[in-house]
Amino acid sequence: MKYFSIFTAITNDISMKITKLGEFEELVLMTVVVLQAEAYGVEIKRELEDRLKDKLSVGSIQSALKRMEEKGFLTSEFGEATLKRGGKRKRIYSATAYAKKVLEELKDVRSQLWAAMPNIITN
Amino acid sequence: MSNKRQNDIQPPHWSLRLLKCCVKKDFLEEIEGDMEEVFAENLAQYSVKKSRRLYNSEVLKLLRPALVRGLGGNHQLNYLGMLQHNLLITLRGFKRHKTSFLINLIGLSTGLAASLLIFLWVSDERSVDTFHENDSRLYWIMANFSINDDVQTWNYTSGKVAQAMIEEFPEVEEAVRVGNHFFRPQGIISYENSNFEAHGIFASQNFFSVMTYELIVGDKQNVIADKSSIAISDELAIKVFGSIEKAMNQTIPWENELFNASFTVSGVFKSPPKNATDQFDIVVNYDLLVDMDEWADHWLGGYARTYVLLKEGTDLTNLNEKLAGLMKGKTSNDRFQLFAQQYSKNYLYGEYEGGIQTGGRIENVRIFIVIAILILLIACINFMNLSTAQASKKMKEVGVKKAIGASRLDLVFQFLGESILLSLLALLAAVGLVVLLLPQFNEITSKQLEFNLQEFILPLLAIVMGTGILAGSYPAFYLSGFKPVAVLKGKMVNIRGEEWMRRGLVIVQFTLSIIFIIGIIIINKQLNFTDEKPLGYERNNIISFERKGADNVDSTPFIEELKKIPGVLSIGNMGGDFLSGNDNSSGYSWEEGDADENHLFKSPRIGYNIIETLELKLVAGRAFSKEMNDNDSKILLNQSAVEFMGLKDPIGMKIEASANDFKEIIGVVSDFQYGSLHQKIEPVLFRFRRSGDNFLVKLQAGTEINTLEKIKEVYAKFNPKYAFEPSFLEDDYRALYSTENKVAQLSNYMGAVAIIISCLGLFGLAAFTAERRTKEIGIRKILGASQLVVVKLLTATFTKTVLISIVLAIPVGYYFANKWLQNFAYSIELEWWFFALAGVSALLIAWFTIGFQTIKSSRINPVDCLRNE
Repeated sequence: MKYFSIFTAITNDISMKITKLGEFEELVLMTVVVLQAEAYGVEIKRELEDRLKDKLSVGSIQSALKRMEEKGFLTSEFGEATLKRGGKRKRIYSATAYAKKVLEELKDVRSQLWAAMPNIITN
Repeated sequence: MSNKRQNDIQPPHWSLRLLKCCVKKDFLEEIEGDMEEVFAENLAQYSVKKSRRLYNSEVLKLLRPALVRGLGGNHQLNYLGMLQHNLLITLRGFKRHKTSFLINLIGLSTGLAASLLIFLWVSDERSVDTFHENDSRLYWIMANFSINDDVQTWNYTSGKVAQAMIEEFPEVEEAVRVGNHFFRPQGIISYENSNFEAHGIFASQNFFSVMTYELIVGDKQNVIADKSSIAISDELAIKVFGSIEKAMNQTIPWENELFNASFTVSGVFKSPPKNATDQFDIVVNYDLLVDMDEWADHWLGGYARTYVLLKEGTDLTNLNEKLAGLMKGKTSNDRFQLFAQQYSKNYLYGEYEGGIQTGGRIENVRIFIVIAILILLIACINFMNLSTAQASKKMKEVGVKKAIGASRLDLVFQFLGESILLSLLALLAAVGLVVLLLPQFNEITSKQLEFNLQEFILPLLAIVMGTGILAGSYPAFYLSGFKPVAVLKGKMVNIRGEEWMRRGLVIVQFTLSIIFIIGIIIINKQLNFTDEKPLGYERNNIISFERKGADNVDSTPFIEELKKIPGVLSIGNMGGDFLSGNDNSSGYSWEEGDADENHLFKSPRIGYNIIETLELKLVAGRAFSKEMNDNDSKILLNQSAVEFMGLKDPIGMKIEASANDFKEIIGVVSDFQYGSLHQKIEPVLFRFRRSGDNFLVKLQAGTEINTLEKIKEVYAKFNPKYAFEPSFLEDDYRALYSTENKVAQLSNYMGAVAIIISCLGLFGLAAFTAERRTKEIGIRKILGASQLVVVKLLTATFTKTVLISIVLAIPVGYYFANKWLQNFAYSIELEWWFFALAGVSALLIAWFTIGFQTIKSSRINPVDCLRNE
C-alpha cells in the first residue's frame, strides 16, 4: 500500500503540470474545437491567420499541436490524402473532454477576473 | 491555379531533404503534407522563387525541439547509456583493483616506451645515407685486395676508376671520384683576421649532380669547375661571412697539411644532413689533389672513393663480373678485384672478412630489434596474464548481467573495451615516458633522435590495440559464454587449462629475462676485461694530440720547449694515430725470408722516445736514440715479428725494405696490443720517422690540469692558427669500444626493463593466486599448518616455474654469448658461474617479488577469510 500511495503522488504531480496551457496553445486548441472534422495542420494555420491577421509558420502550429497531444489535450488520427498534399495524409485533431474542461475553466477564470476589474480599464 | 503547374514545380530539394532527415519519423508524413499544401498555396499567390524562399524559411522554423528527432533516435541513445555504464564499471574496476591496474599500466607502458626508444634508434640507423635522390642506383666501388692468403676489403680505389667506368661500362650513367679518408684537407680558413677550422673533401666536378647535397647557390655542373673554386656549406658560410649571399665569390685562403692556397667561393650547399656518414664543409676539385700527388690519378694509386650512378635496371651480378677484371686489364696485377656495393648499404653492411660481406652495424641493429620485440612480448604477456587473471574474478558479473538480459555480444564489447581502454592508457603513458627519456637516451646512444609521434602512431596503435584485444579476448569470448545459472550457482568451471597457460606465459617471460641477465653479465665482463687487460704499454696519464698544419716541419724545437714544462715526464712523436693501428707496409725481405715477401706488416712510424713514453718493454737491443743519432736506416721489431720472420738473433741483422734499402734491426719490443682487442697481436715493425705530427706526452699524475695549460701555451706559440685538442690515451682506448660500450649500456637498461616488467607480472600473479587461495590457506591454518608451510606452499609453484625457465634459458644464453664473444680476438672464457649467477639471481628476484604477498597471506587470520561465504 505504501508503494501505491507514492505512485499516485507522483502522477498527481504530473497532472498539475499538464493543466498548464500556454496562450498560443490555447488559441490553437480552440481553433481545433471550432474546425471540428476539418481540424488539420494547414487548415488550423489558415483559420488562425485569418482571425489573428498575422502570418504563422507551420512549425509553430505543429509544435503546439504536438505538445498538446503529449499533454493529453488532443487526440489525432489520419484523415484522407489529397493531391495538393502530394498524396500525404492529413492528421485530423480533436480536443479531448479534458481539454474542453480546461478551456471552460480558463474562460471562467477570465470572466471572473473581467468582472472583478474596475470599470476604468474597460472604458 | 492549374494542376500542371503545381505538379511541375517542386519545393527546394535540399530543404526537403533537411526536413526529411530532421523531423521525427512519426510526424513526417503529416508535416511534409502540410508543407506541400502551403507551398502549393504560395505558388498560387507568389512567384516560384518567393514560394521556394518561403518554403525554406518554413523548414528552418520547423526545426524545434518538439518536432526534431533526438540524436540518432531512441535505439542508439540506449547504446550510449550502455557505453557510459560500461565505462563507469571499468573505471570503478581500475579503482578497486589499484595494484593490478597500476602493475598492468606500468608494465605495458615501460615495455612500450623501451621498445619505442629502440625503434627510434633503429629507424635512425637505417636511414643513414639514404637521403640521396638516386639512392637505389647509387653504388660505391669497393676493392678486394688479396695479400697473405687473406683478402682485405677497401672502400677506396684508384682515381682512374671513375672515368674508366663512364667510358667502358654502358650501364654506368655517371661516376664521381672523391678523395678517400686519408686525403681530406682539414685546416684553417682565414677571413678578416678570424680563423675557422674546416673539413673538406676532394671531388670531381660532377659531384653535386651525382650525390644529393642540395646546392643553395651555384650551378650543379660548374660549381667546382676549376682548381681554385670551392663550394662551402651554408653553416660554414654563415659562420665565416655571416650570410650565404655574402659568401659568394669571396676569396679565402685555406691552409692545411695538403696545400696552402686561396680559393673563390663559387657555390653554397646545404650542410650534409645528420644521418649522412660523410660530413664536410668544403668541396674542392679533385684535380688539385692530382696536382699535389700524381698518384691520385694513377692506376696503381688508391686515393679515391668511386661512386657510380647506374642506369635503371642494371644487372648487378653482371656488372660485378665485369668489374672484377677491370684492374687486371689496366695494371696487369690481379691482386685487386673491384665490386659495387649500394652506397647507402655501406653504413650498415660495412664489414668484410676475406672479401666477403659479413656484417657490420646491422648486427647491432638486429640485436636491438630482437631485444625490442622481446621486451614488447614480455610486456604484452604480462598484460594478458594479469588481465585474464583479473577477468576470472568477473564470472559473477557475467552471470548477473546475462540473467538480466545482456546479450553475449554486449559482454564481448564490454570486456574488449575494458582492456583496450587500459592499453590505450598505457600507450599514453608510454608516449609521455619516451618524451621524458629521449634526452638521456640520446646521450647514451650519442645520437640526435627526435620523436615524431605521427610517424609511429599507426604501428603503435596497432600493437596496443592488438595487445588489448588479445588480452581482452579471453574474458570477452570465453567468459561471456558461460551459462548464467551455472555461474551464479557457484559451479566453478574447470580452470586448470587456464592456469597452465598462465604459467606457460610466465615461463616464457622468465626465460627471456634470464637470457637478458646472462647477456648483461657477459657483456659487462668482457668490457671490464678489455678495460683492464694489460696491453703491454702504459696508457694512464698520457695525452695525445696532433700538430695540425703544414707537413714535414721539424718538431725538435717544439719538443724541446715542451720538455721544459715541469709536469711533462716524457714526450715522443710519431706519424699517425697510435691507437687506430692502421699503418701498414709491405715488400720486406730478409735472409731467412721465404718466398712470401709481401707480408703486410703493421708498421707504425715513430720518432725518438715513443717506446720510453709508452713504456713498451724492450726484450733485446735498444730503442731509437737521439744520442746514437738513429735514423730511418734502423728498425725495431716486436716479438711476433721476430717469430714470424724466423730470426734467431735479430739484433744487428738487416732487412731489405725495398731494393737496396736495408734497415738494421736495433731492438726487439715485447708484444703489445696494437689497436683494439678486436685485432690479434700481429707482427709489428717500428719504422723511424723524425717529423711525425702525433705527440704522446706522459704527464705527472696530479698535475694534469696545470701541465695541460702550459702545453697549450707552448702549442699556441708554435701553431698560432690551430686549436689545441688533446685527449687522454685512456679515453681514446675506451673510445675504440664505443660501439660495445653503447651496446652494453643500452642492453643493461633494456635488460633491467625486461626484468622489472617480468617481476611486475609475477607480483601481480602472486597477488592473484594468494587471493584466490585465501580460503584454502585459512582451512590449512585451522588444521594446524604453520606459517612456514603456507609460505612453502605458495612459493613452490612459482619456484618450479622459474626453475623451468632457468633450464630453458641457459642453453639459449650460452649460444648467443658464445656468438657475441667471437667478435673479439681476445675474449673472456664463458664460465659456469655466469649462468649459475643468472639463474640464482632470477630465482632470488622471483622470491623477493612474491615474498611480500606470500608472507602477507601466510599471516592471515583464518577467521577473517572463512567468516563469510
